[in-house]
Amino acid sequence: MSATSAPAADERDLRVTLRDLVLVRLGVAINLVIGQIVAALLLPVYLDSVGTILVASLVGPRAAIVAGLTSQVLNAVLSGNFSWLPFALVQVVIALYAAAAARLGLFRRLATAVPAGVGMGFVAASCSAPISYFLFGGVTAGGVTVVTTVLRALGAPLGVAVAAASYSTDLLDKAIACALVSLLLRSLPRTLAARFPALAR
Amino acid sequence: MTARVVLEKVTFTYPGADGPALADVSLELRAGEVLVATGASGAGCSTLLLVATGFAPRVVGGHLVGERRIAAERCGIVFARPWTQLTGLCSSVRDEIAFGPASRGLPRDDVLAAAERAMADLHVAHLAERDPSQLSGGELQRVVLAAALAMDPEVLALDDPAAELDPEAADALYDVLPAVAAAGTAVAVATPDLERAARVASAAVVLEGGRIVARGRPAEVLGGTDVARIAGAAGCPPPLPLDVPALLRRVGR
Amino acid sequence: MIGYVPGHSPLHRAHPYTTLALAGALLLGAFAATRPVEVWALVGAAAVFAAAGGALRASARPALLLSLPIWVLLFVLHGLLGAEPRMVVGPVSLSVPGIARALVLGGRITAIVLGFLTALATVSPHRLVEAMTAGGVPFGRTFLLASTLTILPRMRERAARILEAQQCRGLRLGGSVVARLRALGPLTLPLVLGALAEVDEQVLALDARGAGSAARRTALDPPPDSASQRALRRVLLVLVVAAYAWKFWRMRG
Repeated sequence: MSATSAPAADERDLRVTLRDLVLVRLGVAINLVIGQIVAALLLPVYLDSVGTILVASLVGPRAAIVAGLTSQVLNAVLSGNFSWLPFALVQVVIALYAAAAARLGLFRRLATAVPAGVGMGFVAASCSAPISYFLFGGVTAGGVTVVTTVLRALGAPLGVAVAAASYSTDLLDKAIACALVSLLLRSLPRTLAARFPALAR
Repeated sequence: MTARVVLEKVTFTYPGADGPALADVSLELRAGEVLVATGASGAGCSTLLLVATGFAPRVVGGHLVGERRIAAERCGIVFARPWTQLTGLCSSVRDEIAFGPASRGLPRDDVLAAAERAMADLHVAHLAERDPSQLSGGELQRVVLAAALAMDPEVLALDDPAAELDPEAADALYDVLPAVAAAGTAVAVATPDLERAARVASAAVVLEGGRIVARGRPAEVLGGTDVARIAGAAGCPPPLPLDVPALLRRVGR
Repeated sequence: MIGYVPGHSPLHRAHPYTTLALAGALLLGAFAATRPVEVWALVGAAAVFAAAGGALRASARPALLLSLPIWVLLFVLHGLLGAEPRMVVGPVSLSVPGIARALVLGGRITAIVLGFLTALATVSPHRLVEAMTAGGVPFGRTFLLASTLTILPRMRERAARILEAQQCRGLRLGGSVVARLRALGPLTLPLVLGALAEVDEQVLALDARGAGSAARRTALDPPPDSASQRALRRVLLVLVVAAYAWKFWRMRG
């Protein structure tokens, strides 16, 4: 016979684990699907971290890291290109930054979310630019590489071109992503928001 | 009939909610019985199922006050939307149905036998090799029910299981429930679909504002004018009279 | 095309871990190789790998298509815009070290893409999930990898429907950059909020089927493994470590 109100410790852990999994899965799905919305709007960004940042705010850093890494792997599976796997490090950095920003309540207002996004873009580019330069010679077949090529053609040394291209695209991309997550969090109905204790802080 | 679930003066509040979703509810779910819980949307029927099967507050959070005794090792639950209930891990219907028994760590032969039994009981054996994501709503909901039954639950709750099904599929689904109960399971269905519920139910309760306002045999409870009003509030047509006195009341004598 | 293609090649019959280990070794080896000769030897190995999977034609074309834009950019960024010394080929002045670098980088990507496309073509997702379950991989990991891919089509469909619906309500997709940024809200909010609202039901459905159970799941159809395959996987690991050791030793000396 099982008893009544307070759940036993292991049952509480169980509840956290399965729910976290479903939320992480949701974050990964958002990361992978939002690209089609962005493409329809012809915006020059990827926004492929929105799901990770959302999971960081709703659950926490560990779940966000899992979301980011899983997105990286599944992106490779879907596109067939596994050479971008080394950028998984950037996903971890974004997840940790997002969790810290959420903890500090930076996503509660647009005025703090956008600067947080700029900071995130700075940190992300600081990780991705060296990976791009040393492992891939600056060529990652995205819009970023086109910017790199243009800058290089204008005379900048390769390292500078890669860095400038990475920073400019990432600052914009992450600023928009954080603004979007801020909007999403503020639009949660009260009863839904109450289901996420991480938001209460 | 053994009581599988006993609720005594249970009050349950969801996290962040203004008021309780269930207030002072006392109820028993017995093996072999099909209980129907009905009421306007938001009256607490779904919550009643979650509390009775032990999923609330353990999985959904919230605060429960009162006495609850669940004499069941396994409780199953089926919701209205088929697609959200798939695990997403299985590429065939057989695997999807076998998922539950496999999770229990049973030996392989027992798992497959349980899956075959459930598929036969729900008449979905012909779909065994199909991909679940390719099925129609009615077929998928039967698969979901088979998957729940494959776990051999002592209590089975169904939350408006035929909401998204066409009439034929809905009939087929409800028609299975008496056999499930006869095998020893305590079945509870929350639904505004009083026609189909009345056909299969052996007991009924009506909820309003989280409280039980009527209970008894389906014929007494579901044919009353109160229920017709509630059904109307839920957007359903009022039920046809279930016995002569109700018919006379309807006709106005 | 990218994706699983059924077949009977040695790779199809091999344990999924073996095929993935081979592709992984190609990936890691490609980053360890620094000279054109080494890289293109790996490309040759990748081609042999693809042929062993009967997938040479199936993976060669998409591999070429995927790497083509990269080759073009490599040619421009390193070949044309590279450092001294330069050589003149017809009307174009090319950088010699640049061309060498482009060959290494391009070959790397070609080897990796070819390797993994072969793996994708010869490892069926279902078999990989079974292998992971039998191997005792925690439920969470298999769930995330397999189940996400299953829910993607429905989510994409929903995103497309939201796009249509909002356009019917007057949302314009064109216009200034600011206007297009503003349109992100009405397009993403319904998608995310709708998905969040389903989370509870999905968790309940999974919990009811024992997904969170601590018991070791029964694998229903585990792919056969063999001692020689396990040995091969270990040998690959050693080879990769040796390749990196050699690379760093060369860099120092």
